[in-house]
Amino acid sequence: MSAELPSHEGALVSLARDGESSAREELARHVGRSAYVFALQLTERPDTAVDVAQDSLLKFFQHLDRFDADRPIEPWLYQIVRNRVRDLMRRERVRRHESLDAWLEAGHPESADPSADPAANAERSDLGHRIWRAVSQLSQSHREIFVLRDHHDLSYREIAEVLSIPQGTVMSRLHAARKSLREILIAEGEARGGPPGRRGDGDE
Amino acid sequence: MAMSDLQHGFDEAMISGYLDGELTQGEEQRLSLHLEICAGCRNMTDELRRFKEATMATEFRVPDDTQWDETPRGRGSGFLRNFGWLILLVWVVGTLGYGLWQVAIDVEDLFQVVIVFGLSLGFGLLFLSVLIDRLTTRKTDPYRRVQK
Repeated sequence: MSAELPSHEGALVSLARDGESSAREELARHVGRSAYVFALQLTERPDTAVDVAQDSLLKFFQHLDRFDADRPIEPWLYQIVRNRVRDLMRRERVRRHESLDAWLEAGHPESADPSADPAANAERSDLGHRIWRAVSQLSQSHREIFVLRDHHDLSYREIAEVLSIPQGTVMSRLHAARKSLREILIAEGEARGGPPGRRGDGDE
Repeated sequence: MAMSDLQHGFDEAMISGYLDGELTQGEEQRLSLHLEICAGCRNMTDELRRFKEATMATEFRVPDDTQWDETPRGRGSGFLRNFGWLILLVWVVGTLGYGLWQVAIDVEDLFQVVIVFGLSLGFGLLFLSVLIDRLTTRKTDPYRRVQK
């Protein structure tokens, strides 16, 4: 999962609004990292992701005074990032990398939770790599909803807020995205001569 | 409603809601019962769960934290700002140096002495006060104790 904002983010926001320099720096680090990862997942371009993250960070702090410190930061932040990416893609014709190799070199997914069982860990890591390659082939709307839920761990209500869609639409669109991903992995598995997940399914 | 929904008698998207804990208690019970008897849906649920866990367990490398300056600026404005600071620094050093040299060669002019030494003293005291504040804040920052 991406770098999570700390559990005390409400206090952090309050202190940052009061001009506490340490709080502002800490908040900037967390917000910058999260914004970068989401932008990278949407654009597959590290240089563009850095620019988007910096722009988003600037906008975040410009409007921090109006933000309700009791609410989670992520939905608001991801909405800013998403809008910026959409603007870029529309105005500057930024296109995602077609090359999957470029994706892996730029933002190489790594296991965040090393398992005690090396074999299981390696299998999960391998599956993670194949999933992120498959994510590159999803449509923009499927990619957005998939990463927001399955990587950034947003609730359906928060996803609805970020994507500006009814909450009732989230589940159906997310399921369609997951099914598309599954189909891509199945096709890839067939091309490789095996099932999409691990070899010899059915033991779960 | 998709063909598969008609076959199973419920909206297939509920499998995702089930995995994410977003169903009502009634919906969850209904789906659990269905999964006990339907191998196809059970396999899909298991597979999607495994994908979700693998996706959650990945992390992306991020650039150095210096990228996340609190007030990020574009390359153009950043260059202009640095250039502006450089010009200002050269001007201050040049002006003060010239003033001190003038005073050194003509100590008779009391007005020049007041101007140059007053300016130097003012800048020096301001710099000292900022330095003291920074050092005090670094030692007594209450936020450090709170959040770390």
